[in-house]
Amino acid sequence: MMTFWQLVTANAKDIVRDRMSLFWFLIFPVLFILLFGTIFSGGGTPSYDVGIACSTDGPLARAISAGLRAVPAFKVHTGTEVEELAALKKGGRSVVIKVPESLPTAALVGAAPGGAAKIYVYYDKTQQVTSQVLLPVVRQVLDEIERGITGAPRIFDVVDQPVQHARLKDIDYLLPGILAMALMQLGLFGSLRAVSLREQKILKSLGATPLPRSLLLAAEVVVRMIMALVQTCAIVVIGHLVFDVNIIGSWLEVFGIVLLGAVTFVSMGYMLVSFAKTEESGQGIIQVVQFPMMFLSGIFFPIDFMPSFLRSIINAMPLTYLGDLLRQVMVGAPPAFSIYTDLLVLACWAVATLILAVKFWRWE
Amino acid sequence: MDAIIASGLRKAYGNVRAVDGLDLRVEAGQVFGMLGPNGAGKTTTVEILVGLRDRDSGNVSVLGYDPGRQGREVKWRIGVQLQSYGLYPRLTVREVVRLFASFYRNTLPVDEVIERVGLTAKANTIVKALSGGQAQRLAVALAMVNDADLIFLDEPTTGLDPQARRGLWDVIRNMKDRGKTVFLTTHYMDEAERLCDTVAVVDHGKVIALDSPSRLISEHFQEQAVEFSNSISNDREKFQSLPGVSRAQFDGEKATLYTKDVTRTIAALMELAQRDGIPIDDVIVRRATLEDVFLKLTGRRIRE
Repeated sequence: MMTFWQLVTANAKDIVRDRMSLFWFLIFPVLFILLFGTIFSGGGTPSYDVGIACSTDGPLARAISAGLRAVPAFKVHTGTEVEELAALKKGGRSVVIKVPESLPTAALVGAAPGGAAKIYVYYDKTQQVTSQVLLPVVRQVLDEIERGITGAPRIFDVVDQPVQHARLKDIDYLLPGILAMALMQLGLFGSLRAVSLREQKILKSLGATPLPRSLLLAAEVVVRMIMALVQTCAIVVIGHLVFDVNIIGSWLEVFGIVLLGAVTFVSMGYMLVSFAKTEESGQGIIQVVQFPMMFLSGIFFPIDFMPSFLRSIINAMPLTYLGDLLRQVMVGAPPAFSIYTDLLVLACWAVATLILAVKFWRWE
Repeated sequence: MDAIIASGLRKAYGNVRAVDGLDLRVEAGQVFGMLGPNGAGKTTTVEILVGLRDRDSGNVSVLGYDPGRQGREVKWRIGVQLQSYGLYPRLTVREVVRLFASFYRNTLPVDEVIERVGLTAKANTIVKALSGGQAQRLAVALAMVNDADLIFLDEPTTGLDPQARRGLWDVIRNMKDRGKTVFLTTHYMDEAERLCDTVAVVDHGKVIALDSPSRLISEHFQEQAVEFSNSISNDREKFQSLPGVSRAQFDGEKATLYTKDVTRTIAALMELAQRDGIPIDDVIVRRATLEDVFLKLTGRRIRE
């Protein structure tokens, strides 16, 4: 036991005194949180510039303008058709609505089929997401106005009823994902230490002592686990203090998942570096694996945005499940998979990669 | 009692036979030296004896255990300094010694070990910041921290300045005074001659001579050596037939004449040089050394 703690403290000192590794494992994830938190905390809801093009300030234009102003996300501008279309082309408007000066009488009494007044909505075709969001809203606003004019009875009344995840901010989604990413990097890149210990002949020197290899390995892993918990605390505390991210899961649950995730990626890391002769080649192998995982597993972009042919890859990646699990447990985000699926997949990855690591790792 | 017995030891790396039928026997309590050029198989032998490397064939017993099968039993009972080794670069000298001390049951006090290799002033310096010689002494300290009866030192003084080498010789003599068996390898013949009770001269993975340094020398040479350098004459016959010369060795520009009658040989040599106009420099008269023994046995010098 004495030997074990000596080894753990020796490892910890050797790592902590290396400023580079300290930066990557502690400062880097915190910077990530600060950076993304700042980017995404810009008021929470996006705002869109809506232009109303109307040559005269008639009652119809006023009604439409008032209706659109009632939508909090809209910033309404009024101007002539020429002005507003020019602004749209420059990107100053997301959408421009051309309102006729007055309504044809035929349309008002509903007597003339096809005689409905034409309201043109211009939008930028390249801004697909924006127009897909905006057009239905604009249509709905116009419907409301129309109903006001025609006096048609309301059959449905939609009542807003926010449920739990409606309160989630972008940073709430991001924080557990960034923690998952940090754990992945800690596990994968941390395993390079084994290669560097071998390259520096430290493993050989220790091999000439009666120290069992299992103890050496255990000490390495324990240090990695402690670092994972420190990392978690740093990320959670920064997230809470700076961006008001509230963790609904208990510390016990979160730490448990963090440790499982760390173990999974540590054994995955050992498996990857067992194919490497030098620290540099190990670094290359790990980059190839960690880079796609970082971007595909739903940490920065929701998985739904990914093309379907990538789905099978995404569904195989352990980071997908660790991110999903942490999001569910830490902030109560809606699940992509059930918690048991997440746990099971992570455990399978841990065991499978550990077996391969033991098979392929060379001590010399 | 024998601390180490090895017979017919063999180890090949691919086509290279690093150790090729090596026999040796190390008595407890003595300083035993393996003397040979680089590539003679010294390090491989040490690594097999300390249980770091498997042998291809042969019998080995270290303190009564087989290091191939009972590696841990052996490792508990020995101290090892490897020729190529590595330590956690960002730990201090004291932290490294303390870490290694935690691996063993009976250890010497950490600070005493550091003091004995003369690193007290550097005890709080991290390994990375040590000079080559200091790191080498730290490695020897790690071999001493286990209060073992048998200590292996693989080229302990390589890369040290002369003063540090002498300091380490004192450390090794001190080990012997404490009743420990020391197994060391070296390619410095003066080191072997001064430190070792028994020397095994090795070449190409075999022991070619095994005895105390003085007996090895007297067995091969009753003569003294007259050494000189000579850049143009390759007329070796002339030197060989000088009066008193029993044997002559030529090694590049360096000629060594072994003679029982130094006075006559020198006089004749000078006369020959004057008569034939052969330039002769750096004349030294000395008694024979282990280097001469090695030269006689292999036809080569130990350090190329």
